[in-house]
Amino acid sequence: MPPRVHPGMLRRARLLEMLDGEGGTPLTVLNAAVGYGKTTLVRSWCIERPEAVIWITLDPVDDDAARLWTHLATGLERLGQGLGRGALAALGTRGAPVEAAVDELMNGLVRHGRPVTIVLDDLHTVSSEASLRSIRHAIERLPANVRLLASTRSDPPIGLGRLRARRALAEIRARELAFTVDEACQLLVHEGIALSGESVELLVERTEGWPAGLYLAALWLRDLDDPNGEVRAFAGSAREVGDYLTDEVLTALAPDTRDFLLRTSVLGRFTPDLCDAVLGRSDSAAVLGQLARSNMFLVALDARGEWYRYHHLFGEVLQLELGGDAAHGLRRRAAAWCRAQGLVEDAIEFSAAAGDSEMVAELLLEHHLQFIWGGRLGQFLGWIQWLPSELLLSHPLLPVSGAAAAALVSRPEVEIQRLFAVADRARREQPQLWSPYVETAVEVTRAEMIEGGDVGAAVEHGRRAMTAARAGADMLTVGVLASLSQALFFAGDLDEARQIAVAAVERPDAPEVPDGHVGALGLLALIDAEQGRSGSAEAWARQAIGFARQRFQADSWVASLAHLGLALACASADRLDEAEREAVRGERLRRTQQPTVGHAHALLVLAQVRIARSRLARAARDLQHAQRAIADFPDPGRLPAIAATVEQTLAAAQTIAGKRELVEEPSPAELAVLRGLAAGLSRREIGAELYISLNTVKSHTRELYRKLGATSQVDAVARADALGLLEPSESPG
Amino acid sequence: MSPQVYRVVVNGELGPRYASAFEGMTISAASGKTEITGTIMDQSHLLGLLERISGLGLKLHSVTPLDNGNGESGTHHAPTTRS
Repeated sequence: MPPRVHPGMLRRARLLEMLDGEGGTPLTVLNAAVGYGKTTLVRSWCIERPEAVIWITLDPVDDDAARLWTHLATGLERLGQGLGRGALAALGTRGAPVEAAVDELMNGLVRHGRPVTIVLDDLHTVSSEASLRSIRHAIERLPANVRLLASTRSDPPIGLGRLRARRALAEIRARELAFTVDEACQLLVHEGIALSGESVELLVERTEGWPAGLYLAALWLRDLDDPNGEVRAFAGSAREVGDYLTDEVLTALAPDTRDFLLRTSVLGRFTPDLCDAVLGRSDSAAVLGQLARSNMFLVALDARGEWYRYHHLFGEVLQLELGGDAAHGLRRRAAAWCRAQGLVEDAIEFSAAAGDSEMVAELLLEHHLQFIWGGRLGQFLGWIQWLPSELLLSHPLLPVSGAAAAALVSRPEVEIQRLFAVADRARREQPQLWSPYVETAVEVTRAEMIEGGDVGAAVEHGRRAMTAARAGADMLTVGVLASLSQALFFAGDLDEARQIAVAAVERPDAPEVPDGHVGALGLLALIDAEQGRSGSAEAWARQAIGFARQRFQADSWVASLAHLGLALACASADRLDEAEREAVRGERLRRTQQPTVGHAHALLVLAQVRIARSRLARAARDLQHAQRAIADFPDPGRLPAIAATVEQTLAAAQTIAGKRELVEEPSPAELAVLRGLAAGLSRREIGAELYISLNTVKSHTRELYRKLGATSQVDAVARADALGLLEPSESPG
Repeated sequence: MSPQVYRVVVNGELGPRYASAFEGMTISAASGKTEITGTIMDQSHLLGLLERISGLGLKLHSVTPLDNGNGESGTHHAPTTRS
C-alpha cells in the first residue's frame, strides 16, 4: 500500500503533471539524492489517480530476486485473485530462473487488462545482480497497460542509456525535483510565513531548491518574529544547509521535546508505548500526536497512529547528537520492551542494531520453532549466519536449527553441511551442551534431506531421531515421524512407512507442525495409491493440499508428495489429464539445483503417468533424467526397482505403438488435426481452431488412422508421439 | 595491499554534530567547505564513506588521494585491491 502523505506537504502540481505527461513511456525514474521528495511525489500521484497501484518499498534486506518478485506477485494477487498464481508457482520451483516468474507476472498483468502502476521505491538499495537482471528483463516485457515508476538516489545499472535512446525511459532528476521560487512561495504561504520576494529568492538560492532544506526552513521560520532578517543571516552563512537548519529547528524546540526527538531518533520505528518504556515517560502518545501534526518529518506508518518513524534524513542527522553508548542503551531497552510484548522480530532487530548478539542468540533459541514452523526461514537463517561463531559453538541448537531452516528452503547442501560442521565441533568440544533435543534436530534434518543420496543412512538418522525425541523432544515427534516414514518409503518398506505416517497424522499436535503434517499425509496418499487404494489416496492428497494452501506451504517441496500421490490415484481412475497435471506439479516442486532422491522419485512417477497417457517421448526423457541421477546415489533404496518397472512399461508401450508400419506420411493439415487431438480438443474445437468444417476434421481423422495404422484416437496419438510427429512445445502446462 | 590517505571534501561547513559521523576520520571546516581526511583501507571502505555522505544529504565536492607527506599524489585513483 502506498504510504500516506502528510497534510503539511506541498502539492506539486507541476511535477504531478509531468508524471501524467510521461504516461506513454513504460519506465519513469525519479533520480535524486535524499531529501528531494521523490517518495512523497509518487505517493501523492498514486493517491490522486484511479489506476491500481502495486507499491514495493525496497530495502537491502529484500535484495533478493525471489523475494522481490514474490512481493510483486502477492501485490498482483491482491488486485485480482489468480493473477499472481503463475508467478508464485514459478517462484516456488526451485532451480527455475526468476525470469520465468517475471514472465508469468507479465501474463497476469495482461490478463488483468486495466491500467496498473508498479512502484519500486528506493531502487538504489538493490544491488544483487540477479535482482537487477530480473528488473531489466521485466522492463523489456512490460505490457501496454502497465507503467513502472522507480525512485532512486543513484543511476541504477539497468541499461538506462539504451532505454533513453529508445525513448522507453522518462527521467525526473534533481533539477526538476528542486523547488522553484514559485513553489517555495506556495509552501511559505501555506505555513503562514511572511517573507519578502527577495528573501524567498535568497532562500531558494541558498538551499538550491532542496526540498528537505526548504521544509526545515519552513519549520524554523514560522515561529520567528523577523523571518526576513534570519533568512539574510542564513544566506550569508557558510554552514552546510541541513546542519544550519537542523540547529535552528532544534534550538527553537522546548528542551523536553528536543530531548524526546533526539532519543527516539535511534529507534528506527516506534510506537507511543515503546517510547514511554524506553524514555521512562507516560505522555509519548501526546508528544507524538503533536509532533505529527506540526512537523512533517515524523511519518505515521499506519492509519491508527500506532507506529511512527522519522524521515530518513532527519532521523540520521538527529542520531548524530547522541553518542554510540547512549544509542545502544536505548536500543537495548527497546529490544526488552518488544520482547515483553511478544514482538520477537522487532526485538531481534533492535538487539542486532545495538550489537547485542547474546540477546539475538537468546531470542532465536527461544523462538526457533516459531520461525521454522511459521515459514520465516530466510530471516531466521540470515540472523543465525550473522552471529559470531563463539555463540554458535556455545549454543549448538543455533547452527542445527539453521541447518534445518536451510534444508527447508533447499539451500545448496554445502551450505547446510557448513552449519552441521559447526554443530559437530560444538559437540566434540562441549559434549555437555548436546541435549536430546539438539540430537533430535540434527538427526531429523539429515533424515529429511536424504543427505548425500543415501536412503539407508536416512533411515538410520530417522531412527536415531525417534530415540532422541523420546528422550526429550516430544514436540518434534511429528516431524520425526514424517521424515522416518519418507526414508522408509524410499527404502521400500511400505508397510512400516504407512504405520508411521498414520501415527504422525493421528497425533493431536500434528496441525501445528505444517511440514511434518503435510508430508505424512502426502506419503499416505502415495502409499495408498501404489497399493491400489485410490479412493483413500485421493482423500489423503486433497487433505494435504488443502492444509498446505492454508498454511502457505503450497509451494514448499513438502506438498509435492501429495501431488504425486494424487497423480497416481487419478491415473488408476483413468483421469489421465488430471493425473499428468498433478504429476507435473509434484515434480516441479521437488526440483533442486542438485539431484536428490526425492526429485528422482518424482520424475519416475511423472514418467509412469505419461506412459499411461501415451506421451512416450516425454516419459522416456523423464526416465532418463531419473536414471542419471540414481546412478550417482550411494544408496538409492527402491528407486532402481521402480525405474526398471517404468522402463519395462515404456518399452512395451513403445512396441505396441511402433508395431505397425507407417503406411503413409500424414499431410500438414492432417498433422494439425492430430496435434489438436493430442491436446485433448474435441473435433468441433479443432475445426474452430483451424477454420475448417467439422466434416473436414472427421475426414482428416479417418485418413490419420489409416496412415498411422491406428485403430483408435489414443492409438493414433501414441503412434504419432512414438514417431516424434507431435511438436515438442505442445504440453498440458 | 596498502591503505591510502584520502581527503574527501563536501559542500558547506559542518558543525560539531558531525564529529561522530565518520569513524576514524578527521573533520575540518573552512571557507564554505568541509574536509574529511583519513586512512582508507580499500575500495569497500571508500564506497562506504561516500554512501554515508550521500545518506546524510551532503553534497560531495571532491575525492583526492594524498601521498604520505599529505600533499596530493597527482593521480585520482583509489586503492587497487578489491576486497
